[in-house]
This record gives sequence, C-alpha cells and structure tokens, in this order.
Amino acid sequence: MKKNEKKIDTNEFENLENQLKRALADYQNLEKRIAGEKSEWIKLSNKDLLLRLLPGLDSLLLAEKHTQDDGVKVSIRHFLDILEQEGVKKIETEGKDFDPKAMEAVSTRVGEEGKVVEELRAGYTLFDLVLRPAQVIVGSKS
Amino acid sequence: MGKIIGIDLGTTNSAVAVMEGGTPKIIHSAEGRNVIPSVVDPISHVVGDVAKRQIVLKPKTTVFSIKRLMGRKFNDDSVQFDIKWLPYTIKAGRDGMADVEVDGRTFTPQEISAMILQKIKSDAEAYLGSKVTQAVITVPAYFDDSQRQATKQAGEIAGLEVLRIINEPTAAALAYGLDKKNAHTIAVYDLGGGTFDISILELGEGVYQVKSTNGDTHLGGDDFDQTIIDYLAEEFKKENGIDLRKDPQALQRLRESAEKAKIELSSSQEAQINQPFITQGEGGTPLHLTMTLTRAKLEQIVDPLIQKTLKPVELALKDAKIKVSDIDEIVMVGGMTRMPKVLETVTKFFGKESNKSVNPDEVVAIGAAIQGGVLGGEVKDVLLLDVTPLTLGIETLGSVSTPLIERNTTIPTSKSQVFSTAADNQTQVEINVLQGERPMAADNKSLGRFVLDGIPPAQRGVPQIEVAFDLDASGILNVKATDKATGKEQSIKITGSTGLTKEEVEKMTKEAEVHAAEDAQKREKIEARNQADSLIFTAEKSLKDAGDKVTEEVKSQVEEKVSALKGILDSGSKEDLEAKTKELSDALQKVGQAMYQKPGQQPDAQASDAAEPKPDGEASKDSGESSKKEEPVEGEVVN
Repeated sequence: MKKNEKKIDTNEFENLENQLKRALADYQNLEKRIAGEKSEWIKLSNKDLLLRLLPGLDSLLLAEKHTQDDGVKVSIRHFLDILEQEGVKKIETEGKDFDPKAMEAVSTRVGEEGKVVEELRAGYTLFDLVLRPAQVIVGSKS
Repeated sequence: MGKIIGIDLGTTNSAVAVMEGGTPKIIHSAEGRNVIPSVVDPISHVVGDVAKRQIVLKPKTTVFSIKRLMGRKFNDDSVQFDIKWLPYTIKAGRDGMADVEVDGRTFTPQEISAMILQKIKSDAEAYLGSKVTQAVITVPAYFDDSQRQATKQAGEIAGLEVLRIINEPTAAALAYGLDKKNAHTIAVYDLGGGTFDISILELGEGVYQVKSTNGDTHLGGDDFDQTIIDYLAEEFKKENGIDLRKDPQALQRLRESAEKAKIELSSSQEAQINQPFITQGEGGTPLHLTMTLTRAKLEQIVDPLIQKTLKPVELALKDAKIKVSDIDEIVMVGGMTRMPKVLETVTKFFGKESNKSVNPDEVVAIGAAIQGGVLGGEVKDVLLLDVTPLTLGIETLGSVSTPLIERNTTIPTSKSQVFSTAADNQTQVEINVLQGERPMAADNKSLGRFVLDGIPPAQRGVPQIEVAFDLDASGILNVKATDKATGKEQSIKITGSTGLTKEEVEKMTKEAEVHAAEDAQKREKIEARNQADSLIFTAEKSLKDAGDKVTEEVKSQVEEKVSALKGILDSGSKEDLEAKTKELSDALQKVGQAMYQKPGQQPDAQASDAAEPKPDGEASKDSGESSKKEEPVEGEVVN
C-alpha cells in the first residue's frame, strides 16, 4: 500500500518536474529570441512607415516617366537619397535575370527569355531584406 | 522532446502556431508574414510568397489551390469543375486519383501539399531553434476519409508525424476555449480567400462533433476583390472610355488599389484611390485614376456576395435540425470576416454577437496549436496560468482604493508596498482588502479586513507599514501587514478572490467604465483634500518649530489661512481646495524665509519624512474616521 502511494508521488513529481523544465525552457528561449528580435526591431521599426510612403514615390516616378521633367527628376533623386540613408535601396531589375525573391512578374513580353524587360513599379530592400518586391515584365520567346 | 506545431493548411493561405509558455503563438514565415500563400513551384521547389510572385511567368508550373484536389478522384464533379479554371495540368493517376503534371513530371496533391508543409516546418524550426517532428493539421469539416488520409500522408512526406487531423471549425472553437465554456451548440462561419464554409458543431463528452456543414467552394475574398475591381473599372470607363482590365499592367495596379481600399474600409468610412498615370488617352495624354470609395458604396456593391453566404447557413441549420435560437456561440474565421458588413449580417441572422477577438487569419492554426499542446501534455489545468479578473488593493486615506495587484496580472504573483499612518500617535491601522476597478473604496467589493495594532506612537507619516499581497495559482490571497519598526505582523487569508463568475467580472468592469469620469473627479477631489490636509499639518508643525523666529504678523497670516483651509477641507470643491492650498503654501514660504537657517518646507515635505513611503501611499486607516480627522487622536480605535 505504502509502496503504491510512493509510486504515485514519483509520477506526480516527474510530471511536475517536466512541466517546470518546459516552462523554464520556454522562458529561456523567449529571452534568447527577444535579444535577437530587439536588434532586428531597431533596424526594421521603420518598415511599416516606409511601406506606406512608397506609393507616393511610385507616383513621382510615374510622373517623371511621363513628363520627363527635370525638376521631378531632381526631387526623386533627393527622395531616394534620403531613403538610402535609412537603409532603403532600390532593387536593380531591368536587363537582369528575373529573381522571384526580389521581384514579382506582372506579365510577359517578347524578349530575352527570363530577363526583365521592363520595370513597372520599383522594388526596395531595407538592410538586405526585401521591403517590397519590384513589379516587372519578363521576357519570353513566344 | 520537441514542440508540436499546429498547422492550418489552407486553400489560399496556410498558417502555423505553437504553444509557448502555455499560450499559443503564431509563427511568422521567413518572409516575415503571419500566413504563407499555399502556392508551390514543385520543379524548383519554391513555396509561398516567392512562388506566388512568378505565377504569371510560370502559369503551368506554379501550383495553387492544391487543397481542392486532395484525396479526390479525377472524375469527381468538383475536380472536373476546377480543371476548367486552374491553369496547371490535372490528370488521372493511380486508382483514378487526381494528379498534377508539371514539366512532364507527375505529382500527387499530397506531394505538393508536403512542400508547403516542409516550408512551414523549416520556418517553425528557425523560429523555435529546434527540430520539429510532430504536428496537428486541420482540414475542413466536410473532408471525407480519403481526403483526411491524403492530408496525413502529406505530413508524413514532409517529415512530420501527424498526431491528429482535426476539423477547422473545431480548431477555431478551441482557440476561443468554447469547450471549456461548455458552449453546447456552435456555428463556425468561415469566409476565406476562395472558399466559404459554415459548420454546426455540438459538444458531446468534451469533444465537438460536426452536426452539419455547408458552404460554397468558390466564394471568398477574391470575389470581393473582383467586384471592387469591376466597379472601379466601370467607373473609369464611364469617364474615359477605356477599360483598364484589358491592360495587364493597369489591372495589376487596379487590383492592388481594390485590395487596399477593401482593407481600409474595414476601419474607416472612406478610402482614397490614387493611381496616377494609370493609362493613356487619345493622343497619348496621361489618365489618372482618382476616386473616393465610401464604405456605404462598398457595402452596396458586395452585398449580393454577403447575402449569398446566408443560404448555406440556413441549409446547415436545417440539416442539423437546429433552430437559430439554439446556437450558443458563433465563431468568425477567415480574413473576410473583418468586414463590418459581414459581421453585421451574421449578427443580424443569428441575433447575437459573434466571437471575433482572435485574428481570423490565425484562429484555426492557433486552435491546432492548442490541440497539439493538449496532446503533448503541455496544456493541463495546472499549467494554464490564470489571471486576476479584477484589481486587488487596499483602502487608504480618504476612502481611496489603492491598487496593489492590477487586473489581468498573471498569477501566482506577489506585490508589496510601504504605507504609513494618517494621524499623529496612531497606534493601529486597519487593512481593508478591496477588489474592483473603481477608485473609491466604497464602490469596490471588500474581501476582508483586519487590524494591525501595537504601532509605537509617532508623528503621522513616520511609521512604516509594509503591506504584502500574495496571490497563489489557485486564487487564494494572503495579505500581510508588518510594522517595520517592531516587526509586528498581522495577516488574513482570502479564498475565492478570483472565484467570480464571468458575469460578475463583466458587470464590475463595465461599471468602472461607466463611472470612469465621475470617479476620476471624486479621486481628484480626495487627492486635493489629502494634499490640503497634509499641508495643514506641515504648516502647524512649522509654526510650532519656528516659535518666535517668525513675526506675529506672519504667524497670524498663516494661522488664518490654515483655518480657512480647514473650514473647507470636507466641504470645498476641488478647485477651492487647490486655491486655498496654494494660498497657504505661499504664506508658508514666509515662515521658511524667516527661518533662514532652515530651508523652506515644501508642501509635500511631510511625505518625505518617512524614508520609503510613496507620496500618495499614506495611511491606511478607518475610512469612517479619516474624514473627520484633524486633531491628532491617540490610538485610533477601529470598530
């Protein structure tokens, strides 16, 4: 009888110890991850804001394309310089191989197979992370 | 032992969650998103967002909506229907099952799904920093045995031991803890990217059983987007005579605008659509798409789609032989249920509010993770840490409720704070333990009270009484008061401090909200009164200390102000109290000046007399007497 009781105790003990270990492990892992995430956060905290600003830049780029106005061109250069200081870089596309990691294919056009024929909307990286993929037209034989 | 992940393997998007520290957490993809598009390029082994970006380029080799083919025969009506619109090649495979052919290679739907699961697995491993080998995967309630088997196989191919296949609506119910709440009959309304499902579940022996399901396999967010696109395109055409849908580049921008507007209109009444230079008119003049879409207009154009969901709901209820009024809870799943009009329609249909607090894109994965936690022994009652539903505190000077443990604090927990006396030579304090959100003691619930006596007589504010709250995991509250000078202590044990019904908690929380403004006023007045009281004490003390160092003129000036302030201490308004306090404070400066060797005492100097007490943490004592308290009373007696 006594032995039996003891067995239950051991079981319960193991169970509790297991749960404690689990809770500690979760906590320690969380701490590790928070340390890692914190440095990421500092770097990427502007991400949402930047993403919301980009459509404005898109419009300026379109205006430049259609009007060929020098003033607009200079303004865009200025804007891009500011963004670059914040770690934002434009993704180079035209003439390059299509790369789905950084680009999104919107349509195809006769041209060199697999190469970007035209960029429709610029894409940007933020500290080597894709902030927004570029939208491009990709060349195709047919 | 590794973690068990919960996977929502969806038609359009998939999601994954895991239990951590007893609560479910969504794992973000390597691309930093909470969902992974269920899109696969099986040849180059690319999955998710990256695969989705090349869909236009490789329409024949990029596979999406594979869930529609899982465990189905090639000759099934649904497969024959889908073949017409899915751009990749579908053919009959072994035993007449539907297979996919990509670049001359044959893949079973299981293999394609396995690639999605592999991506999920590796993203989860990157997040957790350890191997993941076990999973719970969800399937629609209407999946038959063959479809469930196929899903299980997909998991195995991906290197996951599938501990259980559970129904999506059941997972959603688990995410809301409806099983624990004993919600007997529930309806789960799931409007996703491409499919609509309604399920009626009934709780039997702790497990939800599917009573009936219905839905529309081709109705979802994509249809809403298309409706908006069509509307915008038609409006543009009316004005400019050009159909933007014919130009793939313009269509792309139109699609983005439509989706953005749809999302914006869930939280605001108006959305601006701005797409300059979207196309060119006659003679190459640039044309811009600028429009304002109101929520009312959006609701009007998508209303037929929303109404379309109600028919299946009615059929499901009929199949389950259940009346609308029998439904205890409604759960919303899928991104489209964020649309206010959808919520409103569902609420109106069922005549009650639905559960919608959990992110509807994540709720199924979260439920799967909870199921995984149960299977892994992580979710046990012992480990489910509770929170205190209401704030716990004590009553302090002026019948104010001073919180020690704020509501929603995870228990077990302990907190302590040092308080002092409110009167000179006070030899005992009464600790009145309070529960509730209101700032005034009388409006909260008193859980118990006790007296700590034997405090050596001293000036008010000098004794240090440490009050410690200890709330254990089962909600038993231990309150202990210790006089730091003598080490004398007194305590009380209160059981059932968390044993309130949901209704009681809701009522008390709601009351606090309703009375928030007047309570704040009351509290401000008490604070003004306490400050005045404290300054009177300082002033009287200063005059005594100063003796003949101050002129009679200054003295009488101060005395006059003191009695003026005393006169309105309990009757004056907050403004009066503050004004009179200010006057006294100014008069008191003169006393300070007169005693040049002693720097002028500030109004709050009294609080800093004692080393530790917070300026406001003064004096817990009988509320009934405190208001009358001006003259130091010896050994305050508490009834």
